[in-house]
Amino acid sequence: MEISIMAKSISSKLEKALGDQFPEGERYFGLENFGNTCYCNSVLQALYFCVPFREQLLDYYANNKNIGDAEENLLTCLADLFSQKKKTGVIAPKRFVQRLKKQNELFRSYMHQDAHEFLNFLLNELVDILEKEAQSAKSDPETSSPNEKIANGPKNPQPNGIRKEPLVTWVHKNFQGILTNETKCLRCETVTARDETFFDLSLDIEQNSSITSCLKNFSSTETLNAEDKFFCDKCCSLQEAQKRMKIKKPPHILVIHLKRFKYIEQLGRYKKLSYRVVFPLELKLSNTVEDADIEYSLFAVVVHVGSGPNHGHYVSLVKSHNHWLFFDDENVEMIDESAVQTFFGSAQEYSSNTDHGYILFYESLGASNKS
Amino acid sequence: MINPSNGMISTSSSAANAQSPGLKTYFKTPEGRYKLHYEKTHPSGLLHYAHGKTVTQVTLANLKDKPAPSTPPAPASSFSASSGVRSAAARLLGAGNGSRALGFVGGNGGSKSLSGSSRIGSLGASSSSTSMINTNFDGKGTYIIFNVGDAIFISDLNSQDKDPIKSIHFSNSNPVCHAFDQDAKDGHDLLVGLNSGDVYSVSLRQQLQDVGKKLVGAHHYNKDGSVNNSRCTSIAWVPGGDGSFVVAHADGNLYVYEKASLHYQQNKDGAGDSSFPVIKDQTQFSVAHARYSKSNPIARWHICQGPINSIAFSTDGTYLATVGRDGILLSLYRLFLTFNSLYELKFFVQSRLSTSFRLFKRTTYLRWKKLLWCAIMLCLENFKGVFDNKVPLNSMDGKYILTGGEDDLVQVWSMEDRKVVAWGEGHNSWVSGVAFDSYWSSPNSDGTGETIMYRFGSVGQDTRLLLWDLEMDEIVVPLRRGPPGGSPTFSTGSQSAHWDNVCPVGTLQPAPSMRDVPKLSPLVAHRIHTEPLSGLIFTQESVLTVCREGHIKIWMRPGFAESPSGNSETLLSTSSKEKPLLSNKIGSSSYRQ
Ligand SMILES: [Zn+2]
Repeated sequence: MEISIMAKSISSKLEKALGDQFPEGERYFGLENFGNTCYCNSVLQALYFCVPFREQLLDYYANNKNIGDAEENLLTCLADLFSQKKKTGVIAPKRFVQRLKKQNELFRSYMHQDAHEFLNFLLNELVDILEKEAQSAKSDPETSSPNEKIANGPKNPQPNGIRKEPLVTWVHKNFQGILTNETKCLRCETVTARDETFFDLSLDIEQNSSITSCLKNFSSTETLNAEDKFFCDKCCSLQEAQKRMKIKKPPHILVIHLKRFKYIEQLGRYKKLSYRVVFPLELKLSNTVEDADIEYSLFAVVVHVGSGPNHGHYVSLVKSHNHWLFFDDENVEMIDESAVQTFFGSAQEYSSNTDHGYILFYESLGASNKS
Repeated sequence: MINPSNGMISTSSSAANAQSPGLKTYFKTPEGRYKLHYEKTHPSGLLHYAHGKTVTQVTLANLKDKPAPSTPPAPASSFSASSGVRSAAARLLGAGNGSRALGFVGGNGGSKSLSGSSRIGSLGASSSSTSMINTNFDGKGTYIIFNVGDAIFISDLNSQDKDPIKSIHFSNSNPVCHAFDQDAKDGHDLLVGLNSGDVYSVSLRQQLQDVGKKLVGAHHYNKDGSVNNSRCTSIAWVPGGDGSFVVAHADGNLYVYEKASLHYQQNKDGAGDSSFPVIKDQTQFSVAHARYSKSNPIARWHICQGPINSIAFSTDGTYLATVGRDGILLSLYRLFLTFNSLYELKFFVQSRLSTSFRLFKRTTYLRWKKLLWCAIMLCLENFKGVFDNKVPLNSMDGKYILTGGEDDLVQVWSMEDRKVVAWGEGHNSWVSGVAFDSYWSSPNSDGTGETIMYRFGSVGQDTRLLLWDLEMDEIVVPLRRGPPGGSPTFSTGSQSAHWDNVCPVGTLQPAPSMRDVPKLSPLVAHRIHTEPLSGLIFTQESVLTVCREGHIKIWMRPGFAESPSGNSETLLSTSSKEKPLLSNKIGSSSYRQ
């Protein structure tokens, strides 16, 4: 009862605040917390306001609703949740959370969970579901696959039965980027490049630094020597080498995970780093293989609240139609853009400020996600 | 202890500002050590930095010996009037993520102005009997004005007292920006803009003489945000504007106010507030005039869709620079401003995605013509020459502009080429303040060298101060001259001719590509505060650095701290007429072309 009353006052407050600026067709609802499910709620809000992702999920859901009918999975639960008609108020993501707990025992307990782990699991799970459905759709010639093959034509499945055919699903199109790991043998100077895909970049952080600086460190050249030598195929032996990571294909949605939870060996446990890491509303990505800078705009931040890694709370900040909103489980508020900077972190240790940006969501402003 | 003369509680707060471990009290440069001379702070109880909404900004105010405010200034004093530096900083994230403004006005004003202001200056000096500085120095009347939380604090620059000599509290909202004009004619020389959009003008001298903790004798504009209730972001006096000033707001509007006594005093209760038509298209630049002639503000410029981060005038008012988060579609336009001048857009840089810099030029010149460039992005400052009134207009003053921002980089712009000619990498976080060191003279400044050296500094959210040397002959200006925008640039002829004739009104400069531009490395880099920095100011004898939370450090230049008595003599005798080195250097460089 209390919740519904609260929800009503929240919704009217928000609607009042937005007035006639309430974007048409947009929905701002809070999500009920079922006991430490804020990790889930905060990420769901960020994904909901990742508009291309939401649209493509709902498109896919609408077009494929009747194929597999009965089967409930995380994708259908998510799509159900995202197709809520409520303009404001509170929604209970009950089915989704139940499904999540069923699917992965990690999230079954009522302990504090890691939002980044959840995001990672969810995206990979969605990809798995899409791949499975594409697979079964292919065996059923009546239905056309909504997914596209990669550019160089259809490949036959591997003879040994391993499904090695990489599908480019809409999840990939939104989130997937490619890193290239260049290793240069210091003896023969041969450069070996190895590509790997990513859905998010996990960055080491430093006190009083910027995202640009963390990205620079991420891409900085590291020397492999002593016990960490590199096996050069050309030299056929372990050699000293230089290694660096560069972004070969920047994703349409760039998700940056700040490694705030660090294992401290001396302590034998994880510690939360409250470092102040500034993130801009507009980010220029320059550590790419190609020369062109790619520009991104910040649209969501998942914030970890609390001083330790094993407890605390998650909230999210979201930009929608040029307004910033603050989502704290059931609670939704309009905030000023200037409030974003209060989530950068603490310039000194032992600060009373414990609300720290943890996962950043940037959308590319350049080309559309088709490229 | 309570100082009865001004009501300030002056605690000897040594613990509040204890040296943080790992921070040194000096930093080394090739010319010697800069030593931490003293610090300025505020009562530590005020450190309620809950939401980081206000970032400390510093203004240096030089009170001259001018007891009667109504006295019309002699020509000489109007010359020294313009011998100030204004700088401005932008806050690229809308609300001041640290890149706050630094206002610096009149750093080296008249040398004879001791008697009038010494009385005030001695308030701060009274407890500093052990001052390393000549006591005459204290009377110079240079004050540090800085905002923290809901208060404005005023400290005596030349006293060793950590605590301010005056605090002014605002009950309605937090002060966020301020500006000082040492040549204000009607006695009101200090402007304060609030978070609520409210604006006050007051007399600094009057505040210092008053014992209370409230503003006294203030004119209140935009009361309770009646004209515009968005945050003030930057405020500036119009040089030579007879008391006019402009206020930039977070909603992308800039307002022009006229001297209060003309109109406003008759309607002191805010009845004279202006009304402006609703902005129909937020994406279009527009200028609107107040509906009623006897009201303030008199005009509104809609400049950006996002916040205007900063504004600054050149000292003679010839140029107005604005920095903002954009969203305005580029259009070519001419602007009308009401203080008898026509301003037109001369320069427009969309240097980052949505951050832009605009420079407006007034087409009618004032009688003293000096080019002093100010302000881009984070801060632009004039380059040399401005301190010497004998430098002719067509010298190379204002050749370069510095910027810094959220890409952690410092950029040097050539006004002539209207592009970045060098960039510096070295900060690990956003750059929040940049300034040329106008007092620095390079070791080879004897006129024989072929190169000109410039020194500038930058501070950032990485809590560090970086110093840079810029040697102009080292910088090879890339040959790719034809800008993609289509407007050709020429470097022949004098600079003013270049600006007036060649440049079409409003030119879009594309974002610079760093790959074609020479890169600088910092000369030195030092972590000097525990909190992110918000600005720096070079004075003749020191470098001031300030952090977001209102702690100011004053670093004495090599040589100054060691032998204070000898140097203070030098200081006192150094007036605006004694800048032969600078002017020579600038002169020689300007005729080299
Ligand atoms: Zn090799």
